[in-house]
Amino acid sequence: MMVFLIIVAVITPWFMPDAFTYILGLTCLFMILTVSWDLMVGYTGQVNLGHTVFVGIGAYTTALLQVPSRFQGTFLSPLAGMPEISIFATIFLGGIAAGIVGFIIGVITLRLRGWYFALVTAVLPLVFIETTVIWREIFGGEEGFSVGLEKALAPASTGKYYIALIIMLISVAIMFTIVNSRIGLKFKAIRDDLDLAEAVGIDTVKYKVLAFVISSFFAGIAGAAIVHYRVTVSPDLYDVPLMLLIILAAVIGGLGTIFGPLIGGLIIYLTKYWWLKGAMATIAATGLPINDDIILYAILVVIAILAPEGLWIKAKKLAKR
Amino acid sequence: MIELLIRILIYGATVSGIWALVASGFTLIFGVSRILNFAHGAFFILGAYFGLALIHSVGLDPYLSTIVGMIMVGLLAVAAYRGMMAPIREHEVMIIIVTLALALILEQFILLTFGEHGVSFPSMIRGVVCIGGVPIPSIRLFTLVVAVVALILLGVFINRTRLGKEITAASQDAEAAMLVGLNIGKLFMITMFVSAILAALGGSLFAQIYAANPFLTLKALVFAFAIVILGGLGSVRGSVIAAFIVGYTLTIVISLYGARWSEFVAMIIIIAILIFRPTGLFGVKE
Repeated sequence: MMVFLIIVAVITPWFMPDAFTYILGLTCLFMILTVSWDLMVGYTGQVNLGHTVFVGIGAYTTALLQVPSRFQGTFLSPLAGMPEISIFATIFLGGIAAGIVGFIIGVITLRLRGWYFALVTAVLPLVFIETTVIWREIFGGEEGFSVGLEKALAPASTGKYYIALIIMLISVAIMFTIVNSRIGLKFKAIRDDLDLAEAVGIDTVKYKVLAFVISSFFAGIAGAAIVHYRVTVSPDLYDVPLMLLIILAAVIGGLGTIFGPLIGGLIIYLTKYWWLKGAMATIAATGLPINDDIILYAILVVIAILAPEGLWIKAKKLAKR
Repeated sequence: MIELLIRILIYGATVSGIWALVASGFTLIFGVSRILNFAHGAFFILGAYFGLALIHSVGLDPYLSTIVGMIMVGLLAVAAYRGMMAPIREHEVMIIIVTLALALILEQFILLTFGEHGVSFPSMIRGVVCIGGVPIPSIRLFTLVVAVVALILLGVFINRTRLGKEITAASQDAEAAMLVGLNIGKLFMITMFVSAILAALGGSLFAQIYAANPFLTLKALVFAFAIVILGGLGSVRGSVIAAFIVGYTLTIVISLYGARWSEFVAMIIIIAILIFRPTGLFGVKE
């Protein structure tokens, strides 16, 4: 089954238009985001509403390491003379940077019980978007900046798609291995009963922070890869609409399943950026105050109400009956 | 220098009053039903937009349109509670996701209907008052008075009326309240209504001093969170006091360094409290 799917993924660009291949590559990177979000939220049960912060941190880290000239004339001007390094090294560093920030935020918020983690992560995207405006010379404000065509993952869409696919497969394979190991069991124990997990001797804070760091690391990797895919970085990578898209994909697929959010990511990203594009022209013609975002959010609300335990689990239950 | 001080003193009080309305509503519904309502910021700014729509379409005056707008927001919140939150109250993850999605739907709706630019609400009163030689727009003082009166009424409602006492009982122990025969579902709906009209009043007042824009749907949450975390999640008294601390901090920072630092300050306040006093000033037990 897996082999078959991978073969389909490999040969798809031979039959589809170039524009579709381009979107499909971005979809692969988006799937890393949905799976890594699931690793935190679906497995440990802590609601992370600021996953995009780590996407943005990864993105801006690699972009600035590749274009250090942006530091010129700012308080960080010594950094402007950095030597040039491979984009794959800086993508990895983007992941590391996101992981470090995740660690700091995790240590502060995850040792507390209750809602603090959700509240703090919800605030983070807005704070980080503000940084791009405050230090406009470095981060490029609302527009962001370009890293230059020579810093792309590959010169053509097909090449980019294959690299994105490989990054996705490796990332998902690693996360899949983690959640199916003893560590993954501890994550699930924390989600199902925090007190019981503590009673049997699991250091719950340590494992919650660990899950958050892993989750943030892969979000950073994906964010950094997106920059070299699109050749631009901008604050939309920090922003809440992307966050909701990730949540929607993971919830549709089913939390705590890895494969569910993977498939959800595929469906949702293509729906938004490929299929809905045409449908929106018709809806806009009616003059109603509706756009593609409203439709997607409404789908999310409806699914959440009809299958609050997750669509995947609901489907399994129905199949059993 | 003296002029700046007087300005900070008065503007800070106004801003704090508005945020006290918003945060007390947020913490009230959390304290009673344990729902973290991420759509609260949408209710806040819809208070301004519904009022504006009434002024432009029906031609109501600012007072009446604010009141009708508040009731509309309150009914919307009750409908959202009945339709979206009540069915999934046990699923804590989903309720956060649903209210956040609702907030973004409302934000997009405002964006498409009213545009992305800031619009201001016609002031309830015009004119300027001189305090210590510094001209202060009357609406600022008026806003403070309205906010304080509303908060006193809230206090009277919660502490002095039977309904308020029932709500307090439900917030202390929902199961025990049910056992003594209280209709929890009804109490939650009333609390949702009160919470939303407080936010809507805050939004209308805010738009009379500054301007309403769709992005406040989420930005307002940042300040509300900072306040409720400082005040202690679920404590109305705590959030009113915290609103003045956060409000003054924000006003000082904004008048010295500019508005773009406000989210940062709110974030720093949140982080500092979580490190040093996670339960806030008057936290309730989770």
